[in-house]
Amino acid sequence: MIANAILTACTAVALTITYSLYRRMFFKKKWDPRGKHCYVTGGSAGAGLAIAKLLVRKGAHVSIVARNQERLDTALKELETVRQSPDQTIKAYSYSIDNASGAAEALEAACQAHDGRCPDAQFFVAGTSRPGHFVEQSEESLKKGMEETYWCQAWSALAAVRRMVRDQAKGKIVFVSSVLGYMSIVGYSTYSPGKFATRGLAETLQSELMLYDIDVHIAFPGTIYSPGYEVENQTKPKVTLKIEESDGGAQPDAVAQGILKGVQNGDFHITYDFLLNVFRGSTRGSSPGNNFFMDSIYELIGRVSTDSSQVTILFIEVDDMFQIALPFWRMSVDNTVRAHSEEHRQYLRDKGLIA
Amino acid sequence: MFFKKKWDPRGKHCYVTGGSAGAGLAIAKLLVRKGAHVSIVARNQERLDTALKELETVRQSPDQTIKAYSYSIDNASGAAEALEAACQAHDGRCPDAQFFVAGTSRPGHFVEQSEESLKKGMEETYWCQAWSALAAVRRMVRDQAKGKIVFVSSVLGYMSIVGYSTYSPGKFATRGLAETLQSELMLYDIDVHIAFPGTIYSPGYEVENQTKPKVTLKIEESDGGAQPDAVAQGILKGNNFFMDSIYELIGRIALPFWRMSVDNTVRAHSEEHRQYLRDKGLIA
Repeated sequence: MIANAILTACTAVALTITYSLYRRMFFKKKWDPRGKHCYVTGGSAGAGLAIAKLLVRKGAHVSIVARNQERLDTALKELETVRQSPDQTIKAYSYSIDNASGAAEALEAACQAHDGRCPDAQFFVAGTSRPGHFVEQSEESLKKGMEETYWCQAWSALAAVRRMVRDQAKGKIVFVSSVLGYMSIVGYSTYSPGKFATRGLAETLQSELMLYDIDVHIAFPGTIYSPGYEVENQTKPKVTLKIEESDGGAQPDAVAQGILKGVQNGDFHITYDFLLNVFRGSTRGSSPGNNFFMDSIYELIGRVSTDSSQVTILFIEVDDMFQIALPFWRMSVDNTVRAHSEEHRQYLRDKGLIA
Repeated sequence: MFFKKKWDPRGKHCYVTGGSAGAGLAIAKLLVRKGAHVSIVARNQERLDTALKELETVRQSPDQTIKAYSYSIDNASGAAEALEAACQAHDGRCPDAQFFVAGTSRPGHFVEQSEESLKKGMEETYWCQAWSALAAVRRMVRDQAKGKIVFVSSVLGYMSIVGYSTYSPGKFATRGLAETLQSELMLYDIDVHIAFPGTIYSPGYEVENQTKPKVTLKIEESDGGAQPDAVAQGILKGNNFFMDSIYELIGRIALPFWRMSVDNTVRAHSEEHRQYLRDKGLIA
């Protein structure tokens, strides 16, 4: 009985791999950055800089935007080290894009080096994570969280769309959300809402921008080992660190490659490793999928491992070569939180939040 | 079916924001009918007075405490004051359940939005519930009180289509906050719920349709909606595990077709929309 199930699963998997290779090879034309103007916010460090570097390596013209001139200068030097041809236009712009006019001015500046033409692709990578316990938040900190996760990308999107529609230009916009835009856990009340909001905007625009032939993509990275990660861990609650202790993370270069691959393949939701795929598969609902067969498998795996009231089913994990049975991830997370209650109560007493 | 003990509103203090009209009033009425003590919160005193009269018509017992409070809950301190006022009628005790139903929908084309309109959209979908949640949690943790908080998102917090760039982000954000708190509030034994209604035939629906883009109306023309009372009943009831598996299966097969149909409607509208933009001076 088990042998039959495994055999069936293997066959399904083999058929899926064959089908997706077939589809990839004969039907989807990959988007090529070579010779295209790519605009990257948050482009002076971390994932943004890694994406910019990768694009330069692939022959694109690249404009990076950030606030700090010094960091931009350093970043520009790094981009120059991977220049492929003297024809590439590689520039850095110091602007604060935390409001609609700043974002529009930054875009305008980048267009000027290209005869006023809109970029072919815009990557909105600006963002910061400052986790903490909800009970310790204030109006100020929650608003700041939304600024640093959502508005920092929404204003750039508004500037991009208004300009592209005015110029009747085609092109791509790429949002960067987070796995915490698919689900959330303790500690992310300053972060998850904004990452979910980014997804809400991307979902709206994926539909709406069909009116103008503008493509929308949105990437959902997990932990990225970047300068932002250091900032994040300064305020992260103890119980959150505990839940995450067995998680891996990725280097910015790997994240950049994953995101660019998704853009090149024309994927709407972009995830680049097995676990992220599972979250995408189990939560994307009616959003366009990337590959029907693979997504069905990810979704099935996700439903088993994230719904703590389900019965264990044996599964075959494609990417990691035949592991059996994903854990009740959600149940485990919930238990960790509950087990932390007592220690947390002491923490609240020490902070004077309770008697 | 066999293990979940149903939560009974009878004798419990329930707090409802946006409680003077639409779904909020319907939820408040249903709770009064089920024997709860109910506090409704909204801005407009006149509408609160009318709502209170309506709640009184379904009073079950003279012991029920039914009150209305006029507060603006669009910032953290306003939300905290409103909650404080409602607690005073109950010896300073926190409500047993808080329903955050305040919210407004003002759809429109993204290309016509501004910093102001997008920020307003977030205020009217997300912040109007987040401040109440913050006030609720801070107070319940301080008092070491157990209880429930109920967010109201929208089907547009599950997915989105053309026209909702002022609305969907906030409804998704509400879901993000609920997801975080569902996990985090296990530290305090506070339950979190979040409802995802579709179209509600309420005063808010009239406001919504004033600005809704033509293509959005077209996509929605075959949609049904629900009366506020039906929505209230659905929210109070919640879901069933077995049905969920069936819904998911149906969704997996049917949703891609639905999506394709929506996408085609949008693309077919491009030409007409271009004329609309010319008329508005947004393109040449």
